[in-house]
Amino acid sequence: MIRFNNVSKVYPNGTTALKNINIHVKKSEFVFIVGASGSGKSTFLKLIMHEEEPSCGEIFIDGMNITNISKKEVPYLRRKMGIVFQDFRLIDKMNVFDNVAFAMRVTGASERDVKKRVPYILALVGLQDKADRRPAELSGGEQQRVSLARALVNNPALIIADEPTGNIDPEMSYDIVELLSEINKRGTTVVMVTHEHNLVKKFKKRVVEISAGDVTSDKKITEVIKNEI
Amino acid sequence: MRFSSAKYLFSEGFKNVWKNWMMSAASIGVLVLCLLLTGASALLSINITNTLNAIESQNIVKVYLKNELDSQKADQVGKSLRAIENIVSCEFYSKEQAVEKFKDTLGKAFESMKENNPLPDSYKVTLEDIAKYEETVEKIKEIEGVDTVVNRSELFEKLTKFDRFVSLAGLIIVFILALVSLFIISNTIRLTMYNRRFEISIMKSVGATDWFVRVPFMVEGVIIGIISAIISSIVLKFFYDFIIQVIKKNISFFNTPFSDVSVPLFLSFLLAGVLFGLIGGLISISKYLKKEGGEILGW
Ligand SMILES: Nc1ncnc2c1ncn2[C@@H]1O[C@H](COP(=O)(O)OP(=O)(O)OP(=O)(O)O)[C@@H](O)[C@H]1O
Ligand SMILES: [Mg+2]
Repeated sequence: MIRFNNVSKVYPNGTTALKNINIHVKKSEFVFIVGASGSGKSTFLKLIMHEEEPSCGEIFIDGMNITNISKKEVPYLRRKMGIVFQDFRLIDKMNVFDNVAFAMRVTGASERDVKKRVPYILALVGLQDKADRRPAELSGGEQQRVSLARALVNNPALIIADEPTGNIDPEMSYDIVELLSEINKRGTTVVMVTHEHNLVKKFKKRVVEISAGDVTSDKKITEVIKNEI
Repeated sequence: MRFSSAKYLFSEGFKNVWKNWMMSAASIGVLVLCLLLTGASALLSINITNTLNAIESQNIVKVYLKNELDSQKADQVGKSLRAIENIVSCEFYSKEQAVEKFKDTLGKAFESMKENNPLPDSYKVTLEDIAKYEETVEKIKEIEGVDTVVNRSELFEKLTKFDRFVSLAGLIIVFILALVSLFIISNTIRLTMYNRRFEISIMKSVGATDWFVRVPFMVEGVIIGIISAIISSIVLKFFYDFIIQVIKKNISFFNTPFSDVSVPLFLSFLLAGVLFGLIGGLISISKYLKKEGGEILGW
Protein backbone atom coordinates (compact mmCIF):
# COMPACT_ATOMS: atom_id res chain seq x y z
CA MET A 1 0.00 0.00 0.00
CA ILE A 2 2.78 2.42 0.97
CA ARG A 3 6.38 2.09 -0.05
CA PHE A 4 9.16 4.56 0.75
CA ASN A 5 12.45 3.84 -1.02
CA ASN A 6 15.42 5.83 0.37
CA VAL A 7 13.26 8.87 0.93
CA SER A 8 14.75 12.06 2.37
CA LYS A 9 13.02 15.33 3.04
CA VAL A 10 14.86 18.60 3.47
CA TYR A 11 12.62 21.65 3.93
CA PRO A 12 13.46 24.82 2.01
CA ASN A 13 14.83 26.39 5.21
CA GLY A 14 17.43 23.63 5.42
CA THR A 15 15.81 21.46 8.11
CA THR A 16 16.29 17.78 7.39
CA ALA A 17 13.06 16.14 8.53
CA LEU A 18 13.62 12.63 7.14
CA LYS A 19 16.86 10.90 6.24
CA ASN A 20 16.94 8.02 3.81
CA ILE A 21 13.76 6.33 5.00
CA ASN A 22 12.71 2.85 3.87
CA ILE A 23 9.25 1.80 4.95
CA HIS A 24 6.85 -0.68 3.46
CA VAL A 25 3.25 -0.88 4.69
CA LYS A 26 1.21 -3.73 3.24
CA LYS A 27 -2.47 -3.64 2.35
CA SER A 28 -4.73 -4.05 5.42
CA GLU A 29 -1.90 -3.39 7.82
CA PHE A 30 -2.24 -1.24 10.96
CA VAL A 31 0.88 0.77 11.78
CA PHE A 32 1.60 3.07 14.69
CA ILE A 33 4.23 5.74 14.04
CA VAL A 34 5.87 6.92 17.26
CA GLY A 35 8.74 9.25 18.04
CA ALA A 36 9.71 12.43 19.81
CA SER A 37 8.36 15.80 18.83
CA GLY A 38 10.05 17.10 15.71
CA SER A 39 11.32 13.68 14.70
CA GLY A 40 9.56 13.77 11.33
CA LYS A 41 6.31 11.83 11.87
CA SER A 42 4.02 14.44 10.34
CA THR A 43 6.45 14.91 7.49
CA PHE A 44 6.10 11.19 6.77
CA LEU A 45 2.31 11.62 6.47
CA LYS A 46 2.67 14.78 4.39
CA LEU A 47 4.78 12.85 1.92
CA ILE A 48 2.13 10.12 1.72
CA MET A 49 -0.57 12.61 0.74
CA HIS A 50 1.83 14.64 -1.41
CA GLU A 51 1.42 17.74 0.71
CA GLU A 52 5.21 17.82 0.49
CA GLU A 53 7.46 16.39 -2.20
CA PRO A 54 10.43 14.21 -1.22
CA SER A 55 13.87 15.74 -1.74
CA CYS A 56 15.11 12.38 -2.95
CA GLY A 57 13.96 8.79 -3.07
CA GLU A 58 10.74 7.30 -4.36
CA ILE A 59 7.24 6.94 -2.92
CA PHE A 60 4.62 4.45 -4.09
CA ILE A 61 1.00 4.54 -2.96
CA ASP A 62 -1.23 1.67 -3.96
CA GLY A 63 1.25 0.67 -6.63
CA MET A 64 1.44 4.15 -8.13
CA ASN A 65 4.64 6.17 -8.14
CA ILE A 66 3.64 9.50 -6.62
CA THR A 67 7.14 10.90 -6.29
CA ASN A 68 6.73 13.45 -9.05
CA ILE A 69 3.00 13.60 -9.72
CA SER A 70 1.66 16.91 -10.97
CA LYS A 71 -0.43 19.31 -8.91
CA LYS A 72 -3.49 18.25 -10.87
CA GLU A 73 -3.18 14.64 -9.81
CA VAL A 74 -2.93 15.38 -6.10
CA PRO A 75 -6.70 15.67 -5.46
CA TYR A 76 -7.26 12.25 -7.02
CA LEU A 77 -4.49 10.75 -4.91
CA ARG A 78 -6.11 12.17 -1.78
CA ARG A 79 -9.49 10.71 -2.64
CA LYS A 80 -7.92 7.30 -2.22
CA MET A 81 -7.14 8.08 1.40
CA GLY A 82 -8.91 9.45 4.44
CA ILE A 83 -7.11 11.87 6.72
CA VAL A 84 -7.71 12.52 10.39
CA PHE A 85 -6.02 15.41 12.17
CA GLN A 86 -5.34 16.04 15.83
CA ASP A 87 -7.54 19.16 15.81
CA PHE A 88 -10.53 17.51 14.03
CA ARG A 89 -10.76 20.23 11.35
CA LEU A 90 -14.54 20.32 11.15
CA ILE A 91 -16.40 23.25 9.64
CA ASP A 92 -18.22 25.04 12.49
CA LYS A 93 -21.11 26.40 10.46
CA MET A 94 -22.03 23.00 9.02
CA ASN A 95 -23.81 20.31 10.98
CA VAL A 96 -22.39 16.82 11.43
CA PHE A 97 -24.14 15.45 8.37
CA ASP A 98 -22.82 18.19 6.09
CA ASN A 99 -19.34 17.95 7.50
CA VAL A 100 -19.24 14.34 6.46
CA ALA A 101 -21.13 14.89 3.21
CA PHE A 102 -18.64 17.63 2.35
CA ALA A 103 -15.92 15.11 1.51
CA MET A 104 -18.30 13.38 -0.90
CA ARG A 105 -19.55 16.58 -2.50
CA VAL A 106 -15.98 17.64 -3.15
CA THR A 107 -15.60 14.60 -5.37
CA GLY A 108 -18.78 15.44 -7.28
CA ALA A 109 -20.89 12.67 -5.73
CA SER A 110 -24.62 12.84 -6.40
CA GLU A 111 -26.94 13.99 -3.62
CA ARG A 112 -28.65 10.62 -3.78
CA ASP A 113 -25.44 8.80 -2.98
CA VAL A 114 -24.70 11.31 -0.23
CA LYS A 115 -28.08 10.65 1.40
CA LYS A 116 -27.47 6.93 1.32
CA ARG A 117 -23.85 6.86 2.35
CA VAL A 118 -23.55 9.49 5.10
CA PRO A 119 -26.10 7.99 7.54
CA TYR A 120 -24.46 4.60 7.11
CA ILE A 121 -21.03 6.00 8.00
CA LEU A 122 -22.41 8.03 10.91
CA ALA A 123 -23.94 4.83 12.29
CA LEU A 124 -20.58 3.12 11.90
CA VAL A 125 -18.92 5.68 14.17
CA GLY A 126 -21.92 5.70 16.53
CA LEU A 127 -23.20 9.18 15.74
CA GLN A 128 -26.42 8.38 13.92
CA ASP A 129 -28.42 10.42 16.46
CA LYS A 130 -26.28 13.53 16.17
CA ALA A 131 -26.41 14.24 12.46
CA ASP A 132 -28.08 17.63 13.00
CA ARG A 133 -25.69 18.88 15.68
CA ARG A 134 -23.04 21.49 15.12
CA PRO A 135 -19.44 20.46 15.89
CA ALA A 136 -19.42 22.94 18.80
CA GLU A 137 -22.23 20.96 20.43
CA LEU A 138 -20.18 17.76 20.57
CA SER A 139 -17.49 16.45 22.90
CA GLY A 140 -13.92 16.17 21.65
CA GLY A 141 -14.25 12.43 21.20
CA GLU A 142 -17.46 12.87 19.23
CA GLN A 143 -15.91 15.54 17.07
CA GLN A 144 -13.03 13.23 16.28
CA ARG A 145 -15.50 10.54 15.32
CA VAL A 146 -17.16 12.97 12.89
CA SER A 147 -13.78 13.66 11.44
CA LEU A 148 -13.16 9.93 11.17
CA ALA A 149 -16.53 9.52 9.45
CA ARG A 150 -15.50 12.19 6.97
CA ALA A 151 -12.26 10.31 6.31
CA LEU A 152 -14.17 7.07 5.76
CA VAL A 153 -17.06 8.32 3.69
CA ASN A 154 -15.36 7.93 0.31
CA ASN A 155 -14.44 4.36 1.21
CA PRO A 156 -10.67 4.89 1.04
CA ALA A 157 -8.14 2.09 0.92
CA LEU A 158 -5.96 3.97 3.37
CA ILE A 159 -6.54 6.01 6.52
CA ILE A 160 -3.79 8.26 7.81
CA ALA A 161 -4.19 9.85 11.22
CA ASP A 162 -1.86 12.39 12.81
CA GLU A 163 -2.21 12.11 16.59
CA PRO A 164 -5.98 11.64 16.36
CA THR A 165 -6.19 11.18 20.13
CA GLY A 166 -3.97 14.12 21.02
CA ASN A 167 -6.86 16.39 21.97
CA ILE A 168 -9.20 13.98 23.71
CA ASP A 169 -9.26 12.19 27.06
CA PRO A 170 -7.83 8.66 27.44
CA GLU A 171 -11.13 6.78 27.49
CA MET A 172 -12.34 8.46 24.33
CA SER A 173 -8.93 7.90 22.80
CA TYR A 174 -9.28 4.21 23.36
CA ASP A 175 -12.65 4.26 21.56
CA ILE A 176 -11.18 6.06 18.58
CA VAL A 177 -8.34 3.57 18.17
CA GLU A 178 -10.78 0.74 18.71
CA LEU A 179 -12.84 2.18 15.86
CA LEU A 180 -9.77 2.48 13.63
CA SER A 181 -8.88 -1.09 14.48
CA GLU A 182 -12.40 -2.16 13.56
CA ILE A 183 -12.14 -0.39 10.21
CA ASN A 184 -8.74 -1.96 9.68
CA LYS A 185 -10.25 -5.42 10.16
CA ARG A 186 -12.54 -4.71 7.21
CA GLY A 187 -9.47 -4.29 5.02
CA THR A 188 -8.56 -0.61 5.24
CA THR A 189 -4.89 0.15 5.79
CA VAL A 190 -4.32 2.43 8.79
CA VAL A 191 -1.26 4.55 9.58
CA MET A 192 -1.57 6.37 12.87
CA VAL A 193 0.91 8.74 14.46
CA THR A 194 0.73 8.85 18.24
CA HIS A 195 2.55 9.93 21.37
CA GLU A 196 0.59 7.72 23.70
CA HIS A 197 2.49 4.63 24.74
CA ASN A 198 -0.49 3.28 26.63
CA LEU A 199 -2.46 3.00 23.42
CA VAL A 200 0.43 1.42 21.59
CA LYS A 201 0.74 -1.16 24.35
CA LYS A 202 -2.95 -2.01 24.41
CA PHE A 203 -3.32 -2.59 20.69
CA LYS A 204 -0.91 -5.19 19.50
CA LYS A 205 0.12 -3.67 16.18
CA ARG A 206 3.20 -2.91 14.22
CA VAL A 207 5.12 0.09 15.61
CA VAL A 208 7.54 2.20 13.61
CA GLU A 209 9.69 4.52 15.66
CA ILE A 210 11.21 7.58 14.05
CA SER A 211 13.84 9.67 15.78
CA ALA A 212 15.53 12.66 14.25
CA GLY A 213 14.37 11.65 10.79
CA ASP A 214 15.54 8.05 11.02
CA VAL A 215 13.58 4.82 11.43
CA THR A 216 15.13 3.50 14.63
CA SER A 217 12.84 0.56 15.23
CA ASP A 218 10.13 -1.29 13.34
CA LYS A 219 8.59 -4.09 15.40
CA LYS A 220 5.47 -5.84 16.51
CA ILE A 221 4.08 -4.61 19.84
CA THR A 222 5.21 -7.51 22.07
CA GLU A 223 8.83 -6.63 21.52
CA VAL A 224 8.29 -2.98 22.40
CA ILE A 225 6.91 -3.98 25.76
CA LYS A 226 9.91 -6.18 26.44
CA ASN A 227 12.24 -3.32 25.65
CA GLU A 228 10.48 -1.03 28.06
CA ILE A 229 10.66 -3.56 30.87
CA MET B 1 -19.75 18.82 -12.82
CA ARG B 2 -22.96 17.28 -11.63
CA PHE B 3 -26.03 19.35 -11.01
CA SER B 4 -25.99 18.79 -7.26
CA SER B 5 -22.48 20.09 -6.83
CA ALA B 6 -23.26 22.98 -9.18
CA LYS B 7 -26.16 23.94 -6.93
CA TYR B 8 -23.97 23.68 -3.87
CA LEU B 9 -21.21 25.78 -5.42
CA PHE B 10 -23.61 28.49 -6.57
CA SER B 11 -25.23 28.88 -3.20
CA GLU B 12 -21.76 29.16 -1.70
CA GLY B 13 -21.01 31.98 -4.13
CA PHE B 14 -24.15 33.87 -3.07
CA LYS B 15 -23.27 33.47 0.58
CA ASN B 16 -19.83 34.90 -0.09
CA VAL B 17 -21.33 38.14 -1.41
CA TRP B 18 -23.58 38.64 1.64
CA LYS B 19 -21.01 37.59 4.21
CA ASN B 20 -18.59 40.16 2.90
CA TRP B 21 -21.12 42.82 2.01
CA MET B 22 -18.99 45.88 2.71
CA MET B 23 -16.28 44.91 0.28
CA SER B 24 -18.90 43.64 -2.15
CA ALA B 25 -20.61 47.03 -2.02
CA ALA B 26 -17.32 48.79 -2.68
CA SER B 27 -16.66 46.55 -5.67
CA ILE B 28 -20.14 47.13 -7.01
CA GLY B 29 -19.78 50.88 -6.49
CA VAL B 30 -16.58 51.18 -8.49
CA LEU B 31 -17.78 48.84 -11.20
CA VAL B 32 -21.03 50.84 -11.49
CA LEU B 33 -19.04 54.05 -11.85
CA CYS B 34 -16.95 52.44 -14.54
CA LEU B 35 -19.96 51.15 -16.45
CA LEU B 36 -21.82 54.47 -16.07
CA LEU B 37 -18.99 56.50 -17.55
CA THR B 38 -18.59 54.05 -20.39
CA GLY B 39 -22.32 54.15 -21.02
CA ALA B 40 -22.53 57.93 -20.80
CA SER B 41 -19.74 58.53 -23.26
CA ALA B 42 -21.17 55.89 -25.58
CA LEU B 43 -24.56 57.60 -25.49
CA LEU B 44 -23.04 61.01 -26.10
CA SER B 45 -21.10 59.61 -29.01
CA ILE B 46 -24.18 57.97 -30.46
CA ASN B 47 -26.04 61.25 -30.30
CA ILE B 48 -23.23 63.18 -31.92
CA THR B 49 -23.02 60.63 -34.70
CA ASN B 50 -26.75 60.79 -35.27
CA THR B 51 -26.62 64.55 -35.38
CA LEU B 52 -23.77 64.41 -37.83
CA ASN B 53 -25.75 62.07 -40.03
CA ALA B 54 -28.73 64.37 -39.83
CA ILE B 55 -26.62 67.34 -40.85
CA GLU B 56 -25.03 65.38 -43.62
CA SER B 57 -28.30 64.37 -45.12
CA GLN B 58 -29.66 67.90 -44.99
CA ASN B 59 -30.19 69.28 -48.47
CA ILE B 60 -31.30 72.75 -47.42
CA VAL B 61 -28.97 75.71 -47.58
CA LYS B 62 -29.63 79.18 -46.22
CA VAL B 63 -28.42 81.97 -48.44
CA TYR B 64 -28.21 85.42 -46.83
CA LEU B 65 -28.27 88.49 -49.02
CA LYS B 66 -26.31 91.69 -48.61
CA ASN B 67 -28.16 94.25 -46.53
CA GLU B 68 -28.23 97.09 -49.03
CA LEU B 69 -30.02 95.15 -51.78
CA ASP B 70 -33.41 96.38 -52.90
CA SER B 71 -36.23 93.99 -53.72
CA GLN B 72 -35.54 94.07 -57.43
CA LYS B 73 -31.97 92.99 -56.98
CA ALA B 74 -33.11 90.36 -54.51
CA ASP B 75 -35.37 88.95 -57.20
CA GLN B 76 -32.39 88.92 -59.50
CA VAL B 77 -30.49 86.74 -57.03
CA GLY B 78 -33.49 84.41 -56.89
CA LYS B 79 -33.42 84.00 -60.65
CA SER B 80 -29.69 83.29 -60.63
CA LEU B 81 -30.21 80.73 -57.91
CA ARG B 82 -32.90 78.93 -59.90
CA ALA B 83 -30.56 78.85 -62.84
CA ILE B 84 -28.10 76.63 -60.99
CA GLU B 85 -28.89 73.11 -62.06
CA ASN B 86 -28.55 71.35 -58.70
CA ILE B 87 -31.12 73.64 -57.09
CA VAL B 88 -34.64 72.27 -57.01
CA SER B 89 -36.48 75.10 -55.35
CA CYS B 90 -35.81 78.36 -53.66
CA GLU B 91 -37.99 80.29 -51.30
CA PHE B 92 -37.64 83.93 -50.38
CA TYR B 93 -37.70 85.17 -46.79
CA SER B 94 -37.81 88.92 -46.41
CA LYS B 95 -36.10 90.61 -43.48
CA GLU B 96 -39.57 91.37 -42.07
CA GLN B 97 -40.48 87.72 -42.11
CA ALA B 98 -37.17 86.94 -40.45
CA VAL B 99 -37.81 89.37 -37.65
CA GLU B 100 -41.31 87.99 -37.16
CA LYS B 101 -39.91 84.49 -36.72
CA PHE B 102 -37.18 85.75 -34.43
CA LYS B 103 -39.78 87.42 -32.28
CA ASP B 104 -41.91 84.29 -32.15
CA THR B 105 -39.14 82.17 -30.78
CA LEU B 106 -37.47 84.67 -28.52
CA GLY B 107 -40.33 86.84 -27.30
CA LYS B 108 -41.88 90.25 -27.40
CA ALA B 109 -38.74 91.94 -26.13
CA PHE B 110 -37.54 91.97 -29.68
CA GLU B 111 -40.53 94.03 -30.89
CA SER B 112 -38.33 97.08 -31.22
CA MET B 113 -36.18 95.30 -33.76
CA LYS B 114 -38.88 95.88 -36.34
CA GLU B 115 -37.96 99.51 -36.66
CA ASN B 116 -34.26 99.02 -36.93
CA ASN B 117 -34.13 95.57 -38.50
CA PRO B 118 -30.59 94.15 -38.52
CA LEU B 119 -31.60 90.89 -40.17
CA PRO B 120 -30.89 90.35 -43.87
CA ASP B 121 -33.18 89.00 -46.56
CA SER B 122 -32.56 85.39 -47.32
CA TYR B 123 -33.38 82.46 -49.54
CA LYS B 124 -34.05 78.93 -48.40
CA VAL B 125 -32.58 76.78 -51.12
CA THR B 126 -33.24 73.08 -51.60
CA LEU B 127 -30.58 71.02 -53.34
CA GLU B 128 -31.21 68.01 -55.49
CA ASP B 129 -28.00 66.03 -55.00
CA ILE B 130 -26.22 66.34 -51.66
CA ALA B 131 -23.09 64.86 -53.13
CA LYS B 132 -22.64 68.08 -55.09
CA TYR B 133 -23.09 70.17 -51.94
CA GLU B 134 -19.70 71.88 -51.84
CA GLU B 135 -19.73 72.56 -55.56
CA THR B 136 -23.18 74.12 -55.46
CA VAL B 137 -22.29 76.29 -52.44
CA GLU B 138 -19.32 77.64 -54.38
CA LYS B 139 -21.60 78.56 -57.28
CA ILE B 140 -24.07 80.30 -54.96
CA LYS B 141 -21.27 82.35 -53.41
CA GLU B 142 -20.30 83.64 -56.82
CA ILE B 143 -23.72 85.23 -57.40
CA GLU B 144 -23.66 88.96 -56.96
CA GLY B 145 -25.55 90.21 -53.92
CA VAL B 146 -25.04 87.03 -51.86
CA ASP B 147 -23.48 87.79 -48.51
CA THR B 148 -23.03 84.43 -46.75
CA VAL B 149 -24.08 80.86 -47.18
CA VAL B 150 -24.58 79.00 -43.91
CA ASN B 151 -22.04 76.28 -44.20
CA ARG B 152 -22.62 72.89 -42.64
CA SER B 153 -18.99 71.87 -42.72
CA GLU B 154 -17.92 74.12 -39.83
CA LEU B 155 -20.50 72.67 -37.47
CA PHE B 156 -19.68 69.30 -38.86
CA GLU B 157 -16.02 69.69 -38.06
CA LYS B 158 -16.63 70.97 -34.56
CA LEU B 159 -18.93 68.11 -33.74
CA THR B 160 -16.53 65.55 -35.16
CA LYS B 161 -13.73 66.98 -33.06
CA PHE B 162 -15.93 66.94 -29.97
CA ASP B 163 -16.92 63.37 -30.69
CA ARG B 164 -13.30 62.34 -30.92
CA PHE B 165 -12.51 64.15 -27.69
CA VAL B 166 -15.40 62.50 -25.87
CA SER B 167 -14.41 59.07 -27.12
CA LEU B 168 -10.77 59.51 -26.19
CA ALA B 169 -11.37 61.05 -22.77
CA GLY B 170 -14.01 58.42 -22.09
CA LEU B 171 -11.65 55.67 -23.12
CA ILE B 172 -8.86 56.88 -20.84
CA ILE B 173 -11.11 57.35 -17.83
CA VAL B 174 -12.78 54.02 -18.39
CA PHE B 175 -9.44 52.29 -18.75
CA ILE B 176 -8.24 53.68 -15.42
CA LEU B 177 -11.50 52.87 -13.70
CA ALA B 178 -11.42 49.39 -15.17
CA LEU B 179 -8.06 48.76 -13.57
CA VAL B 180 -9.29 50.16 -10.27
CA SER B 181 -12.38 48.00 -10.30
CA LEU B 182 -10.44 44.89 -11.21
CA PHE B 183 -8.15 45.65 -8.30
CA ILE B 184 -11.01 46.12 -5.87
CA ILE B 185 -12.97 43.10 -7.06
CA SER B 186 -9.96 40.84 -6.82
CA ASN B 187 -9.23 42.13 -3.34
CA THR B 188 -12.82 41.62 -2.27
CA ILE B 189 -12.68 38.03 -3.36
CA ARG B 190 -9.27 37.64 -1.82
CA LEU B 191 -10.69 38.76 1.49
CA THR B 192 -13.52 36.24 1.25
CA MET B 193 -10.98 33.61 0.45
CA TYR B 194 -8.90 34.62 3.41
CA ASN B 195 -11.97 34.42 5.65
CA ARG B 196 -12.60 30.94 4.38
CA ARG B 197 -9.00 29.77 4.25
CA PHE B 198 -9.68 27.08 6.84
CA GLU B 199 -12.50 25.62 4.79
CA ILE B 200 -10.42 25.79 1.62
CA SER B 201 -7.63 23.98 3.42
CA ILE B 202 -10.03 21.22 4.50
CA MET B 203 -11.34 20.99 0.96
CA LYS B 204 -7.83 20.49 -0.34
CA SER B 205 -7.08 17.86 2.28
CA VAL B 206 -10.09 15.76 1.31
CA GLY B 207 -9.21 15.90 -2.38
CA ALA B 208 -10.98 18.91 -3.86
CA THR B 209 -9.64 20.02 -7.22
CA ASP B 210 -8.62 23.65 -7.69
CA TRP B 211 -11.69 24.08 -9.88
CA PHE B 212 -14.00 22.98 -7.13
CA VAL B 213 -12.40 25.50 -4.79
CA ARG B 214 -12.58 28.21 -7.44
CA VAL B 215 -16.18 28.06 -8.53
CA PRO B 216 -17.85 29.72 -5.50
CA PHE B 217 -15.44 32.64 -5.75
CA MET B 218 -16.01 32.98 -9.46
CA VAL B 219 -19.74 32.94 -8.79
CA GLU B 220 -19.12 35.70 -6.25
CA GLY B 221 -17.39 37.76 -8.94
CA VAL B 222 -20.15 37.14 -11.46
CA ILE B 223 -22.83 38.16 -8.96
CA ILE B 224 -20.97 41.40 -8.28
CA GLY B 225 -20.81 41.95 -12.05
CA ILE B 226 -24.51 41.28 -12.63
CA ILE B 227 -25.65 43.51 -9.78
CA SER B 228 -23.39 46.30 -11.07
CA ALA B 229 -24.80 45.94 -14.60
CA ILE B 230 -28.38 46.20 -13.36
CA ILE B 231 -27.70 49.23 -11.17
CA SER B 232 -25.75 50.99 -13.94
CA SER B 233 -28.49 50.46 -16.50
CA ILE B 234 -31.18 51.86 -14.22
CA VAL B 235 -29.12 54.86 -13.13
CA LEU B 236 -28.08 55.64 -16.68
CA LYS B 237 -31.66 55.51 -17.91
CA PHE B 238 -32.86 58.04 -15.34
CA PHE B 239 -29.82 60.23 -15.81
CA TYR B 240 -30.21 60.22 -19.59
CA ASP B 241 -33.93 60.90 -19.53
CA PHE B 242 -33.31 63.81 -17.20
CA ILE B 243 -30.62 65.28 -19.47
CA ILE B 244 -32.86 64.93 -22.51
CA GLN B 245 -35.65 66.70 -20.73
CA VAL B 246 -33.45 69.62 -19.83
CA ILE B 247 -31.67 69.95 -23.14
CA LYS B 248 -34.31 69.09 -25.66
CA LYS B 249 -36.24 72.26 -24.82
CA ASN B 250 -33.39 74.26 -26.31
CA ILE B 251 -31.71 72.23 -29.00
CA SER B 252 -32.64 69.12 -30.85
CA PHE B 253 -29.34 67.48 -30.08
CA PHE B 254 -30.08 64.56 -27.75
CA ASN B 255 -32.49 62.98 -30.13
CA THR B 256 -31.86 59.28 -29.57
CA PRO B 257 -34.45 57.93 -27.14
CA PHE B 258 -33.07 55.65 -24.41
CA SER B 259 -35.32 52.79 -25.46
CA ASP B 260 -33.45 52.66 -28.80
CA VAL B 261 -30.23 51.68 -27.08
CA SER B 262 -31.43 50.14 -23.82
CA VAL B 263 -31.19 46.49 -24.85
CA PRO B 264 -27.72 46.51 -26.41
CA LEU B 265 -26.55 48.79 -23.63
CA PHE B 266 -27.82 46.48 -20.88
CA LEU B 267 -26.38 43.44 -22.62
CA SER B 268 -22.99 45.10 -22.96
CA PHE B 269 -23.11 46.13 -19.31
CA LEU B 270 -23.97 42.59 -18.34
CA LEU B 271 -21.21 41.13 -20.45
CA ALA B 272 -18.66 43.63 -19.16
CA GLY B 273 -19.80 43.15 -15.56
CA VAL B 274 -19.66 39.37 -15.73
CA LEU B 275 -16.30 39.48 -17.47
CA PHE B 276 -14.87 41.83 -14.86
CA GLY B 277 -16.20 39.76 -12.00
CA LEU B 278 -14.78 36.60 -13.50
CA ILE B 279 -11.39 38.06 -14.28
CA GLY B 280 -11.18 39.76 -10.88
CA GLY B 281 -12.09 36.49 -9.24
CA LEU B 282 -9.67 34.43 -11.27
CA ILE B 283 -6.78 36.81 -10.55
CA SER B 284 -7.19 36.49 -6.80
CA ILE B 285 -7.95 32.79 -6.79
CA SER B 286 -4.93 31.78 -8.80
CA LYS B 287 -2.74 34.02 -6.68
CA TYR B 288 -4.17 32.52 -3.52
CA LEU B 289 -4.04 28.89 -4.58
CA LYS B 290 -0.48 29.25 -5.80
CA LYS B 291 0.64 30.48 -2.41
CA GLU B 292 -0.87 29.76 0.99
CA GLY B 293 -4.11 28.35 -0.39
CA GLY B 294 -2.38 25.32 -1.85
CA GLU B 295 -1.34 24.08 1.58
CA ILE B 296 -3.06 22.39 4.45
CA LEU B 297 -2.98 25.17 7.02
CA GLY B 298 -1.41 24.75 10.41
CA TRP B 299 -0.24 21.18 10.01
N1 LIG C 1 7.12 23.47 6.55
C1 LIG C 1 8.27 23.28 7.23
N2 LIG C 1 9.33 24.06 6.94
C2 LIG C 1 10.48 23.88 7.58
N3 LIG C 1 10.69 22.98 8.53
C3 LIG C 1 9.68 22.17 8.87
C4 LIG C 1 8.41 22.29 8.23
N4 LIG C 1 7.59 21.37 8.77
C5 LIG C 1 8.31 20.71 9.69
N5 LIG C 1 9.56 21.18 9.76
C6 LIG C 1 10.64 20.67 10.62
O1 LIG C 1 10.87 19.32 10.30
C7 LIG C 1 11.08 18.53 11.44
C8 LIG C 1 10.06 17.42 11.51
O2 LIG C 1 8.79 17.99 11.68
P1 LIG C 1 7.46 17.12 11.83
O3 LIG C 1 6.34 18.04 11.83
O4 LIG C 1 7.50 16.06 10.82
O5 LIG C 1 7.68 16.50 13.27
P2 LIG C 1 6.69 15.59 14.12
O6 LIG C 1 7.42 14.34 14.35
O7 LIG C 1 5.38 15.50 13.48
O8 LIG C 1 6.60 16.42 15.47
P3 LIG C 1 5.34 16.54 16.47
O9 LIG C 1 5.30 15.28 17.26
O10 LIG C 1 5.71 17.71 17.32
O11 LIG C 1 4.14 16.77 15.66
C9 LIG C 1 11.01 19.51 12.61
O12 LIG C 1 12.33 19.87 12.96
C10 LIG C 1 10.27 20.68 12.08
O13 LIG C 1 10.68 21.86 12.71
MG1 LIG D 1 3.43 16.15 13.94
